[in-house]
Amino acid sequence: MKCEELLTYLSDYIDQNLDEELTEEAQNHLATCQNCRVVLDTTQQTIFLYRKQGTRNIPAGRRQRLFKQLETAFLEKIA
Amino acid sequence: MFTESELIEALRQRNPEAFSYLFETYSDKIYRLAMSLLGSEDEAEGIVQDSFLRLFEKLDQFEGRAKLGTWLYRVAYNASIDLLRKRRPVVPLLDEPDDEGLPVPVVYVDWCQAPETILASEEASLELERAIAQLPKRYRTVFILRDIEGLSTAETAEILSISVSAVKVQLHRARLMLREQLSAYFSERLSTKPKGLAQPKGLAQPKGVNL
Repeated sequence: MKCEELLTYLSDYIDQNLDEELTEEAQNHLATCQNCRVVLDTTQQTIFLYRKQGTRNIPAGRRQRLFKQLETAFLEKIA
Repeated sequence: MFTESELIEALRQRNPEAFSYLFETYSDKIYRLAMSLLGSEDEAEGIVQDSFLRLFEKLDQFEGRAKLGTWLYRVAYNASIDLLRKRRPVVPLLDEPDDEGLPVPVVYVDWCQAPETILASEEASLELERAIAQLPKRYRTVFILRDIEGLSTAETAEILSISVSAVKVQLHRARLMLREQLSAYFSERLSTKPKGLAQPKGLAQPKGVNL
């Protein structure tokens, strides 16, 4: 496998969507190509950082207000 | 905890616990999606409200072909897109053609082992926000649903009404674009000379590798 192919398959490799043969080819390439290894590691780290940061919730005041408004609307529908 | 079918049934019965569960499970997720598209807390709150109200109205007809979560995401996404169209009716929403090449890595600095003081700094957090805000909207949405919210490729495709392969392509591009932005930022923070500016063998195409 060459660098271009590795780059094309990178997300599938990260998501473990490659078949056995391609996975092995990718692993062999990664074992010898420092640049591709860095691209893989930093892509995974990028995803990790966003996942860590991405759990921001609705600000408390808004959340409480929304909950009350929607709860009222929800319960008003009782026949 | 409710199973999907129990939750639908309990919501139809107007069970307050079911409402709380629904709100706790989905309100923040929908808010984050709307915020990422609209950038306005007021509008994102409005989207959450409208999406839930629409669900309450449709509860009796809800056939369970889609999961509740997928349905809510889809309603919120479409409502956000409608709002964006109203804001800028002339600008096409799907801002780039789909046949661009794959972004080619330029920075090859390994910043994974950077100290937490750099990786978890307030400045880095702002950089993450800046980078994702610069993504084309559809890439951003796919990245948020798949990598931040953890939805499957199939669910994401259903919510956005695009094919599974389009989700994969857009996610891949989004990841590479974000990686590039963050690599440039962190390599500078590490005061490392951007030694990766030279193209590695086999990745030398200036305009990218077409998928």
